[in-house]
Amino acid sequence: MYQYTPFDTQFVKQRAAQFRDQLQRNLAGTLGDDEFRALRLQNGWYIQRHAPMARIAVPYGELSSDQLRMLAHIAREFDRGYAHFTTRQNCQFNWIPLPKAADVMDLLASVSMHGIQTSGNCIRNITSDCFAGVAADEIVDPRPYCEILRQWSTLIPEFAFLPRKFKIAVSGAKEDRAAIAWHDIGLQLLKNESGEVGFKVLVGGGMGRTPVIGTVINEFLPWQQILVYLEAIVRVYNRYGRRDNMYKARIKILVKAEGQRFLDDVAEEFRRILELDEGGREQIIPQAELDRVAAHFVTPAGVKPIEGSRLEVPADAPAAFQRWLERNVHAHQLAGYRSVTLSLKRTGQAPGDATSTQMELAAGLADRYSQGELRVSHDQNLVLPWVRESDLYALWQAARGASFATPNIGLLTDMIACPGGDFCALANARSIPIAAAITERFDDIDELYDIGDIDLHISGCINSCGHHHSGHIGILGVDKDGSEWYQVTLGGLDGSAISGHQSTPGKVIGPSFAADEVPDVIEAVLDTYRTQRSSAAERFIDTVTRIGLDPFKAAANAQRRSTAKA
Amino acid sequence: MKFIDPARDPWRTITGEDGPMVTLTPAPHSLLTLAQWHSVRSTWPAGMPVGVQFPNDADIEELAEDLPRLALVALHFPKWVDGRAYSQARLLRARYRFRGEVRATGEVLVDMMPLLERTGVDAVALRADQSVEAAERALHFFPGHYQADVHEKRPLFKRPPGQETAPVEFNQAGSAI
Repeated sequence: MYQYTPFDTQFVKQRAAQFRDQLQRNLAGTLGDDEFRALRLQNGWYIQRHAPMARIAVPYGELSSDQLRMLAHIAREFDRGYAHFTTRQNCQFNWIPLPKAADVMDLLASVSMHGIQTSGNCIRNITSDCFAGVAADEIVDPRPYCEILRQWSTLIPEFAFLPRKFKIAVSGAKEDRAAIAWHDIGLQLLKNESGEVGFKVLVGGGMGRTPVIGTVINEFLPWQQILVYLEAIVRVYNRYGRRDNMYKARIKILVKAEGQRFLDDVAEEFRRILELDEGGREQIIPQAELDRVAAHFVTPAGVKPIEGSRLEVPADAPAAFQRWLERNVHAHQLAGYRSVTLSLKRTGQAPGDATSTQMELAAGLADRYSQGELRVSHDQNLVLPWVRESDLYALWQAARGASFATPNIGLLTDMIACPGGDFCALANARSIPIAAAITERFDDIDELYDIGDIDLHISGCINSCGHHHSGHIGILGVDKDGSEWYQVTLGGLDGSAISGHQSTPGKVIGPSFAADEVPDVIEAVLDTYRTQRSSAAERFIDTVTRIGLDPFKAAANAQRRSTAKA
Repeated sequence: MKFIDPARDPWRTITGEDGPMVTLTPAPHSLLTLAQWHSVRSTWPAGMPVGVQFPNDADIEELAEDLPRLALVALHFPKWVDGRAYSQARLLRARYRFRGEVRATGEVLVDMMPLLERTGVDAVALRADQSVEAAERALHFFPGHYQADVHEKRPLFKRPPGQETAPVEFNQAGSAI
């Protein structure tokens, strides 16, 4: 894991001090609420339905057990004893009173954490593959590049007030587990024929009202030039992105409107930075700097390939362990090791939520079984990246005791859901009760297994924090005449292997449904799949692609009760 | 950072009853609109100090040729969260090597100071309700940054050991941390 240098440590402390100064001016009445808003957002502080929401950055999803314990402590002492992990690998609190905000930032700074640029119209926290550095299908470890980008984007003055938020995701594996095509900039690390490392660069992806898949702007950019290239893209956006309408302000709108001209502008700006700008070429990353940063991401001391290791299942191991191995345990780069997902999807808790006690238990598991290291996944789970095969059975037993062992990773109940209208002031409808109703309806593990691999994504509003556009089944909360309704889409793809390495928004299957119809609709859609699939091996998404939406529409519409009258 | 006191500022805009005047007589320290400047640029006396108010939605490249003749470029923040002028300032300094004054005007607030300074603005006309003291303080929270800027032209990774931060006074973080 990246270890803060004295510079980094001082930097987050000074950021906390700067925030305290701003907060004090706001509380004293010399900094108006409107103006304080944009400043607190850039430190992760929203005002939500009940209290401020604090979004804490987990850069590219890497978390130490000590950091997780601090999050647990903050949840217990300042919040109501729980926190929420997000699709952007961050951690959110919901109940911290604003006057306590500066104290919380100080505590976070003491474990090298902060809320810098987790909100606001700036370059947001960089996201990546939750298996970075351990994935069996890795081409290049993205973490050193992510850290260099984190430093580059942190308080970058020219780009602090862009037309709209700006999200960058980086993947270094064959499978895209970071949904890079759905980001303002998506970066795919590659090696060319000579073995040199570079980035395939996508620009202008995004969700929201207008879902757009990113356009490839560069097939292979040598890694040394990435900061210059990003500066060129973001500068063109800062200058020409729309500011008259916040719904048309994301870079995707500029890329679509300008087309080739946007690509040409970026190429020209890139050339000018290198040829004309004072300090332009200084941003080319030297090998020594990559080496310095990469040295933070080496295999932990004491972790060595264990040749001849075999995954041995005790003869008396219950079927549940076998299922957990199948769903929650993942291939690893090192012989004898696996990464393990701790499922945050279980009956009785909102997707992605964890209590203080659960966070402390997870930190304990990380210390005992995973070198004190965890990851937050894009799918809102926690991951232990360094687990010995010989420890799996003991880990499973411990994880089960801590409610982390639901063997549902990649299955229906491993759904993505935003906090929705229960917490979020932007939401049109609640997500959590819908997620809960579906989780309860599909609590039979045999049935979940029979349904198989599927992405169910739920957003409480069109801002799409729950990524409904990219779900094989997407559910979107909408507001009509002050009540909650839900639009259902089918066939969205997030770029992962089960999505066929493709990205595309799902298609709406008809008018919105009432909340109490949604579980029936989901069940009808899944029953249709099970009736229509060509074999047990055909996945839901493949059946949808093969037979089209009509059979699913008919089944879904047959579930209308309250909406049938409308 | 120079804080502009309107009462003592030598720079004058040339406005008539119906807005900026189209015909004007050259006078020292005239701060012209872009249109006014275009109308007099061919006849403006050499050596007579002149400045241009540059809108934030125009291409700063258009001014490149004229920069050696300008003593001041006044950039504009119609709203403080509209960050276009930061790019203009940065280009004026880093690309066009402009050495005159770059002034921030419009809705200029205390908490913009570090951004303005680092992108090359060296004078600010604060909004009337803003405190100069708080603005001065806002300039001194960070002894160093990761990226290069118009003053420190090397990113952190190009600075030799011992030169990561500038030898400047900064506001100490609270003892609580």
